[in-house]
Amino acid sequence: MTVAQARKTSAQERKHWDRKWIPYVLLAPAIITIVVVILSPLVTTIYYSFSNIDLIRDRTTFIGFDNYVELFSSRLFWKAVEINLKFAAIVVVVPTLMGLFFAVLLVEDFVGRGLGRTLLILPWALPWIVIGLLWNWVVHSQFGALNGLLYSLGLIDKYIPFMADENWALVFTAMASAWRQTSFSAILLLAALQTIPEDLYDAAKVDGAGMRARFRFITIAWIRPTLTIVLLYNIVLGFLQFDAVWIMTQGGPGDATMLISVLLYRYSFINFDLGMGAAVSNVLGLITMGVGLIFVRLTYRSQSTYS
Amino acid sequence: MSASSQTSWQVAARRVATYAAFFCLLFWVGFPVYYMLITSFMDPPELGVKPPHWIPQEPTIENYREVIIGQTGQRGDYGTTTEFSRMMPALLNSTFVSVSVVLLNLLIGGMAAYAFSRFDFRFSRFAYLSVLMTRVLPALSLIVPLFIILRKLKLINTLWALIFTYTIFILPLTIWILREYFDTLARDIEEMALIDGATRRQAFRLVVAPLAVPGLIAVGVMSFMEAWSEFFFALTLTNSLTYPPLLMSFRNLHQVNWNALAAATTIGVLPPVIVAFVFQRYLVRGLSEGAVKG
Repeated sequence: MTVAQARKTSAQERKHWDRKWIPYVLLAPAIITIVVVILSPLVTTIYYSFSNIDLIRDRTTFIGFDNYVELFSSRLFWKAVEINLKFAAIVVVVPTLMGLFFAVLLVEDFVGRGLGRTLLILPWALPWIVIGLLWNWVVHSQFGALNGLLYSLGLIDKYIPFMADENWALVFTAMASAWRQTSFSAILLLAALQTIPEDLYDAAKVDGAGMRARFRFITIAWIRPTLTIVLLYNIVLGFLQFDAVWIMTQGGPGDATMLISVLLYRYSFINFDLGMGAAVSNVLGLITMGVGLIFVRLTYRSQSTYS
Repeated sequence: MSASSQTSWQVAARRVATYAAFFCLLFWVGFPVYYMLITSFMDPPELGVKPPHWIPQEPTIENYREVIIGQTGQRGDYGTTTEFSRMMPALLNSTFVSVSVVLLNLLIGGMAAYAFSRFDFRFSRFAYLSVLMTRVLPALSLIVPLFIILRKLKLINTLWALIFTYTIFILPLTIWILREYFDTLARDIEEMALIDGATRRQAFRLVVAPLAVPGLIAVGVMSFMEAWSEFFFALTLTNSLTYPPLLMSFRNLHQVNWNALAAATTIGVLPPVIVAFVFQRYLVRGLSEGAVKG
């Protein structure tokens, strides 16, 4: 065997070796970290939810379903569920409708469209915590922008302490969440609207379809997949929102804005009852997993038709 | 005749409706932001006058100056004097965390996405689906064991706890988006480079990576925004080392200088806002690919 031949075979061998092992090497960091940080805590949360955790003595005792029994028989939990459902209703309806409204506006050709599209990004670019602060300025009882506006317009004589009222507090924490989520929804819907071929509308016009019919049977039909995804995202946010609510009310006044996520934080990091916290985590996880599974099913299907 | 006049009437009506809707958009987005901005340029006594001043009467940059040097409350009884001294260090920490997350995420996620895109190996479909499934898990619900793990590793209240967790929670999205990008890049060019004697590494570096730049930017920008903004982990795993939980601790102060807080908030949102505006195109594309297809 000549030297050149030997070199050639070893190169081929190396190439073969590459093909076989490279993917595992490339994947290792991602898979290992995902297993350590996401999957192992997942298993642990499930275990913890059946345990009593004594942080001081560092002792974990298995107690079966006691945490869940306590949780499901507590009035606090069902109150949180009720509050969260109302909150989620606003966070689903407002951003989806307003997002669609703004998206439809921003496919129109008019002076200011570029400015509109750029401005639309702004709420999405702000951290949730800042959204909470912004809306805190809007609804504040002494110097709030909304009070100021109503007062300037002569609609009120004295400022309304919105956040001291249980209903207003829930509405405005939900509106703060809806504010950012509207941008997110509009960005996605706008991207979908831009893919509608113009001749579809022309053809429909020739066929005598009115504006309403065109909107319903072309626009909505075309963006339906995106609309579904937007709805799912908004539902998930309705149950996972924490930041904006925490900075605005910390669950108050009373328990008026105590979402399930706020309850989770209270159990885990205020009462330091980590077992109960884990039980709440799992309930919350099951809700969003349910929504998420629909989501993965839909997207995976759309991806396989795509490729 | 009547048909054309109706059309022009419709055009006019449509124009009016468009601008009315545009005004709604401007007001909806602009009003809260504008109010924070004017607050940040006011002296404390001007905030809360009735009726409110919609334009600051004597605009001042004093709030910004005080936040930057960390000395507030020198103009009377509006909060303590040093409450904002942690602001600039927190912004530095946030920058360090965000940049580290972007780099780690691109490296680890890019490698994994490339493997999923180019190699057909045992368990590849299973591994990919598992990675996707993790996107569905609410990060919120993993906090308790994460807290305990990180406590055992003595990483609580360090920036590493944040870098570590943020990177990993963004990874699934990154892998998804980048895989789409790698999939759409013509394999032929890469195969040709391989046939011409390039090693796989060379082919990646010289052919694939340059073509994937838009995807990398989109993912990089999104992970930057996420890392800069994340609040819940920062609140529970650290003692206000970064910008978001620090804002929260200001909010909790018994007596806070709201004007200085407005200035501090404005400074802190500049990085993500600038990044979002500069990379608007990539971001929208990444967002819609990541959310809709992914």
